[in-house]
Amino acid sequence: MKNVLRNISLYISFIIASIKEMLIYRLDCIVGILSQTLTQVVEIIFIWIVFQNTSNLAGWSYEQILLLYGITLMSISVCSFLFDATYDLGPVFIREGEFDKLLLRPVHPLISVLGSSKDFVSFGYLVIGLIITIMMFTKLAIPITFWLIIKLLFFIIIGGLILGGIETIFSVAAFWTYRSNEVVWTFYRVYTLTQYPIDIYSGFVKILITFILPFAFVAYYPTMDYLGFNKYMIWLSPIVAIIIWIIAIGVWNWALKKYRSTGT
Amino acid sequence: MAIIEAKNLVKEYKTIIKDKGILGYIKHLFKPKYEKFTAVDGINFEINEGELVGYIGENGAGKSTTIKMLTGILTPTSGEVIVNGLVPYKSRIENNKNIGAVFGQKTQLWWDLPVIESFRLIKKMYKIPEGEYRKNLKKFTELLDLEDLLEKQVKNLSLGQKMRCEIAATFLHNPKIVYLDEPTIGLDVLVKENIRRFIKNINKEKNTTVILTTHDVKDIEEVCDRIILIDKGKIIFDGEKQKFKDNYGKNIKAELIVKDKVGNMAEKINSENFTITEESNELIKLKFSHEKTTIMNVMEEISKYCKVLDIHMQESELEDILKEIYKKG
Repeated sequence: MKNVLRNISLYISFIIASIKEMLIYRLDCIVGILSQTLTQVVEIIFIWIVFQNTSNLAGWSYEQILLLYGITLMSISVCSFLFDATYDLGPVFIREGEFDKLLLRPVHPLISVLGSSKDFVSFGYLVIGLIITIMMFTKLAIPITFWLIIKLLFFIIIGGLILGGIETIFSVAAFWTYRSNEVVWTFYRVYTLTQYPIDIYSGFVKILITFILPFAFVAYYPTMDYLGFNKYMIWLSPIVAIIIWIIAIGVWNWALKKYRSTGT
Repeated sequence: MAIIEAKNLVKEYKTIIKDKGILGYIKHLFKPKYEKFTAVDGINFEINEGELVGYIGENGAGKSTTIKMLTGILTPTSGEVIVNGLVPYKSRIENNKNIGAVFGQKTQLWWDLPVIESFRLIKKMYKIPEGEYRKNLKKFTELLDLEDLLEKQVKNLSLGQKMRCEIAATFLHNPKIVYLDEPTIGLDVLVKENIRRFIKNINKEKNTTVILTTHDVKDIEEVCDRIILIDKGKIIFDGEKQKFKDNYGKNIKAELIVKDKVGNMAEKINSENFTITEESNELIKLKFSHEKTTIMNVMEEISKYCKVLDIHMQESELEDILKEIYKKG
């Protein structure tokens, strides 16, 4: 436990260093946030167009879908900020030989990789997600109580951790395929599925994103709770997050061991 | 007591064999063929605390692979390695606390931040006590002349400035062992001097063990006491620097200042015992081996054709010796 705390404390130091580095490039930062925000606006327009022709999607109304969308966006923002550096594992660290340098530190290399994150453009997601969520709570006449805020905050972070854990598992592929980053890209393609209620998907996709890659626990089940549809599944989210991270760290250590014996 | 021990250390790599052309690539996709390549082939050595060892060899001789096994980055295929009582590839993180390393051009500093920020992060990573950190920082700043660099962003430093900071960062946590892989590559003479002086200074004061791999023979000449020479994955020499010279440096160069020379010396003298490498009317340069002849015999032969006024003799330098060895290999 002491070890875990120490690693987290080092991770925070690395992230602070990264933020300082990022702040030096103010323009990059602002342009990044603006462009990310724009992509989301386009997505929302897309949802709006869909609802011009239909009043509900698999039993979900326009406002309910946007609420799910807003909450997902906030979890994605948390995940991007904390864990998107895993995307660099192949192209930046392993391919350029920087990874060996991390192996010389008295710290688990995963901490060093995660701590090198510079993805602060995701703050744009957080802001849009928050605006949409508040608007939809108001429209759906769900009272924003203190308890709801606490719950929202907690489950957004849990959602980010689940996404980050899955991303970390995917990132392991980079130890072998460091020339291409297709595997991590697949992660990005799959996780956009979570922005819509799983009820609209077929049986296979439903099973995939509930049990195999438990994206449904990121925002879908928490939103079901806020809407009063399902009061129980939400409490599985933290357990899913813990399981995902135990698997992620295990898989990572296993891959690291393989990598060190082949020495690519 | 030995601080580093390597016993029958072996590292094999798999390399891919591909047939030529696009067809070869497609074939490889379905039925990959591999070939074994032995980078380090059963090496043995012991290094004691406080030793300054030059680990040398040609490119691809197995130097970096050895260092990577000593630091625990790579797991050996077979054999044993014990560093400071630990097996590095098993307890890598524990081992990392006691070592420092510079790998060529790769920096361990945070590229976009001022140098001092990197030092602070290193302090945190290695849990360096405040007092120790201040003491080292002050001392290193003085020795490596870092005063004006600490507040600068790493990316704005010149190569020499960066390497000085890099060296300071490596020694900041008082490592027991430091691996330096090409620490002086691409640096100017003054910076090289500065870094060599620093390494010797810290070694003397803190008894730090230093393993240095380099292609700059002057680094070894000035810093190291002991040489380990590796070739094609095998150690071909391990011992004191002077012994290395005695073993391999049998060639002696001599310069003779002469007068009243008659004709071309190289044509007239056809001795097996020495070779004339250069000659003019006043100067003859020649090479001979200790094993075959002495300077007196050479003189006798030469003075048949001219008057010798003065002699300069020179033992082979490390660089010449290495050239000879590499050429033969």
